[in-house]
Order: sequence, then C-alpha cells, then structure tokens
Amino acid sequence: MKSVIEANQLVKTYGDHRAVDGITFQVGAGECFGLLGPNGAGKTTTFKMFYGSCRITAGELFVLGMNAREHMRQIKAAIGVVPQENGLDPDFSVLENLLIYASYFGMSGSAAKARAIELLAMMQLEDYSQKDIDTLSGGMKRRLVLARALLTRPKILFLDEPTTGLDPQARAWFWNELRSLQKQGTTLFLTTHYMEEAEELCSRILIMNKGRSVAEGAPRDLIKSYVGHEVVEFDIDPAKIDQYIGQIKNKFAYQVMRNRLKLFLRDNQTAADALSEVSSPNITLRKASLNDVFLKISGYELND
Amino acid sequence: MTKTAEFIGQTLADIFYFPQFGRGILSVWRRDFLYFRYTILTTLAWIFVEPLLYVFAFGYGLGHFVEHINGMSYIRYIAPAIMATSGMFVGFFEGTYGTFIKLARQNTFSTIILTPVGTDEVAIGEILWCTTKACLSVISVAIVLVLLGLMPTANMAPVLGVMFLTCWVFAAFGVWLASIARSFEWFTYFQSGFILPMSLFCGTYFPLSRLPHPIYVFAMFLPLTHAMQSSRMFLAGDFNAQFFINMMYLVFLGVVFTNLAAARFNRRLVV
Ligand SMILES: Nc1ncnc2c1ncn2[C@@H]1O[C@H](COP(=O)(O)OP(=O)(O)OP(=O)(O)O)[C@@H](O)[C@H]1O
Ligand SMILES: [Mg+2]
Repeated sequence: MKSVIEANQLVKTYGDHRAVDGITFQVGAGECFGLLGPNGAGKTTTFKMFYGSCRITAGELFVLGMNAREHMRQIKAAIGVVPQENGLDPDFSVLENLLIYASYFGMSGSAAKARAIELLAMMQLEDYSQKDIDTLSGGMKRRLVLARALLTRPKILFLDEPTTGLDPQARAWFWNELRSLQKQGTTLFLTTHYMEEAEELCSRILIMNKGRSVAEGAPRDLIKSYVGHEVVEFDIDPAKIDQYIGQIKNKFAYQVMRNRLKLFLRDNQTAADALSEVSSPNITLRKASLNDVFLKISGYELND
Repeated sequence: MTKTAEFIGQTLADIFYFPQFGRGILSVWRRDFLYFRYTILTTLAWIFVEPLLYVFAFGYGLGHFVEHINGMSYIRYIAPAIMATSGMFVGFFEGTYGTFIKLARQNTFSTIILTPVGTDEVAIGEILWCTTKACLSVISVAIVLVLLGLMPTANMAPVLGVMFLTCWVFAAFGVWLASIARSFEWFTYFQSGFILPMSLFCGTYFPLSRLPHPIYVFAMFLPLTHAMQSSRMFLAGDFNAQFFINMMYLVFLGVVFTNLAAARFNRRLVV
C-alpha cells in the first residue's frame, strides 16, 4: 500500500518538555489509522505538526509525498482538518461559517454555496443554516466542523477526537459517515479516547504514551498479543491480594487496580482454569477488548 | 529584567521579518468586512457623531475664545486634527480590541491557518481591515467637515492620502500590540499613556511651537505630528520638501509595525 502520511522520528519539545519524543509511522492510502493515548500523550501535538499549527522540533513529516517543512501551503490545500477545538466563528451563521472557510481555499460564489448546502444536508443541519453558532448543540457543532473539513473534498482527513462529548446516537451516526467517506477512498487519520471507536473504525492504531509510541498494529492483533482472548475481572480483599497473586502469577497474565484484579486468558487457557482459582462474589468473564490493551499499556494512574 | 531585554532583542530582530504576501490577505480582510456589515449602522453613527462633538466643543465652544491660529479661524485650524485623530482612534481600537478578540477569545485565526492561508496573510489581512475601517472613518469625518464648510475641497486628495497612511500606522501598531497582549486591560496603558496624549500634543489643537523645547523634540518622533504637519501644508497650499520627510517617516513606521505584527502572529499562532 502506498503511504500518504509519514512521520519519521518526529520530535516536539516545549522548553524542556518532550511532548512528542521520536514517533515513526506510516498511513496507507485509503486506510483509517488511529492515534490513541492518555491525556497529554502528545496526540494533538503530533497532529498539529502535520498541518502547520505547531513547529517541528526534529524529524521528518510527509503528507502525500510533500515535505511538511517546505510545502505546508500545498499540504493544507489537500487535506481536511477536524481540530480538537471546534474553532467555529461566533460572528457568523452556520452557512456563513462554511462559506467563509471555503473562501480561504479560494472557493467562492455559487460553487462554494452549492457545496456548503450539500454538506449541510449531509450533516442534517439544513434547518440551521441561518442560525448562530451559539444556538447549536455540541453534536451539531461537531457535525458542522466535519462539514467544514469536507468542503474541498479532501483525500485525507485529520480528525482530532471527532466524537468527544457526543451522545451514543451521534457517535454512531459519525462512525457511519466516516465509514462511508473511507469507502469513497478518503484516508482517515484520527485520535480518540473511545476504544470501541478505534476498534470499530481503525484498521491500524498506534498507542502513544508520554510522547512515545508504545504499541502499533491492527486492534485485533494488539488485543491478542497484549491480553489474549478473554478477561476475568473480580474484586478481591486487599489484604489477600499479594498472596493470591503469588498463587496465579506463573499461570496468568494479570493487572491490579486497587482491590480489583484482571486475569488475561490466552488461547490455550479457559475461563474454568481461571475461575477455579478465584473466590469472589463479583466475577465478570468477558471478551478481551482494546480497552484492556490500553489500560495494560498506560496503567491506571492519571497521566496529566 | 532579562525578560525585558529578551523582548527588546526579539522586537529589534522582528523589524527585519519580511512577511509573505498572498491572496489569503484578501480573504481575511473580507471576513472582517462581512462582519462589519452587521455593525455598520452603529459604527457609522458614532463615526459621524464624534466629529460633530469635537466641532461643537472645540470649534464653537472653545473657538469662541480663540481669535485666530496661523491666520485662520480656530475651527478651521482644528478640522484636519479631527480627521487625523478619528483615523488614529479607529485604527488603534480596531487593531487592539478588535483583533485581540479574534486572536485570543474566538480563536478565529487558529481556524484560518488550518487552510492554505498563512500567518503572515492573517496579520496583514487584519492590518488591512483595520486600516480600511479607519479610512472609512476619516472619509466620513471629511464629509461632515466639508458639508459644514470647514474644510476646502481643493487639496482633498493629498490630504486623504496622508490620512490613509496615518490610519495604516495606527492600525499596524494596534495589531502588533494585540499580538503581544495577554489581556484587554493592557491596551488601556497605551490608550491613556500614548494615544490620548498624542491626540492632544501633536500639533492638533494648538501649534507645536507652543511646546517646551524637549517636548517639541519628542513630539517630532510621534506619527501624528507628521500627519498634522503634512496635511496642514496641503490645506494651506504651501507645499514644500518637508512633506517627503513626513511621508517617509509614516511609511517607515507602517512597515516596521506591519513586520513586527506579522512576526508575532507567526510565533503566537504556530506554537
Ligand atoms: N502550547 C503548549 N505549550 C507548552 N506545552 C504544551 C503546549 N501544548 C501542549 N503542551 C503539552 O504537551 C503535551 C502533549 O499535549 P497534547 O495536547 O498533544 O496531548 P493530547 O494527547 O492531545 O492530550 P488530550 O487527549 O488531552 O487531548 C502535554 O503535556 C501538554 O501539556
Ligand atoms: Mg488532544
């Protein structure tokens, strides 16, 4: 697959703080690639370097083969961006927000207007075209920002937490929309805090922590290699936790969060094996998920 | 102290930051113009009302006690000052408050730079807009003054040219201040420490020659002084080479403030 996004040993420092600390990855044409990581991991900073809102400290960045240090204007003309902060213009109506944004790309007149109206319909915002930005709900604003990013029919979309703060319906609607964009050939590069979103949409993900890449691969493969196929989760008396871990640690991979314990089951281990060792009133057996991978990699501590 | 030294060093270096021009300048200007259309009635109302206040207070009120200045009635003497200060105030306010709202409160510019428009074009587009608004104010003041018969129309074109340059200088100055400001309060210092005194002491309401010598010398460095000297020259019809010095000084300041603003915009918008 031809890669349309490429980062080589990308570094960003703020003073002494290394917000992005040597990240390397590629995104193939038509792929949906997810950047995951706890708050402050450096996702937004990485994104901003791609579209010139943040200076590159070291390393190389390419978008559609163009070097981000030299061809930022051409890169920005070719991509669509949904930033973490909406940045909608409160001085203008919904439709005007789109038309004015289009004018920055040199789109104007009836072509711009037709495209804006088409997108408002697609985002189910046609009844709001004359409304002020302040009157929109969080979900509507996010949809409007997606419409704004799509004005130029970009081949690559950068989506920084596209669905944060949305209700489940709105999120499902967004996923659908993104999937159909991908079907039409758009490359999607997104960040998210929702593991089910990454599992649902992304063919590959990269998990960052403290500016570094800690895991990369297809969600299914990461689940398999980091946790296994099933998880047993239960509460345990904190006084007994060390003794219990002593018993099982040679048999199972595990993770502790205070008085709650997770056992990760490999393919050759069954729930019965694990449960025979356990006595707790509160046991859950479930399929392993990307959430388990994420928590195993980045731990339970707050990060920022 | 090191912080101040660093600021001064950076600012001196920024004078030589030569911004990139592009079509984006017009798009940024257009965005501001579209917003202005919503507020045009209130804006034009005070742009017309304010010069009238000056005309009545200084001209007919104070002017009653002043015989003549340089052989003309007081109200005719201050007419170009009303024009120039109006351009100065509007350019400065739009540049500082107007731009700062977009920069720091509404993140308007962070969104614009997601598009092919660069930070230089944003800074210059803003300066162009603030200059435009100030020029509109100068023109409406001129209309009021001409209608009241207080200003000859003979040399109006060069006088307006001088005024437009003045508008640019103060617009660029204001936008530069906005780009280094942390809060609105900060602008108040420049307003009462700089802009207001300038409106009073730059040969506006009384001749510069009345000032004690050291202050006179200081006033010669202020942009409004040059605007007043050159516009008076044209209105009086005695054109001389002094005009070129006035113009060059205004252009010099306009370029310097534009470069400073563009350099700061770049550092502030691209972290
Ligand atoms: N302008 C800035 N100046 C200084 N430090 C910054 C700046 N922007 C971000 N940082 C720091 O860089 C680190 C990475 O921030 P970034 O916003 O990229 O994280 P993130 O992964 O997007 O987090 P979140 O999930 O909360 O959006 C954080 O420690 C943050 O405090
Ligand atoms: Mg972020």
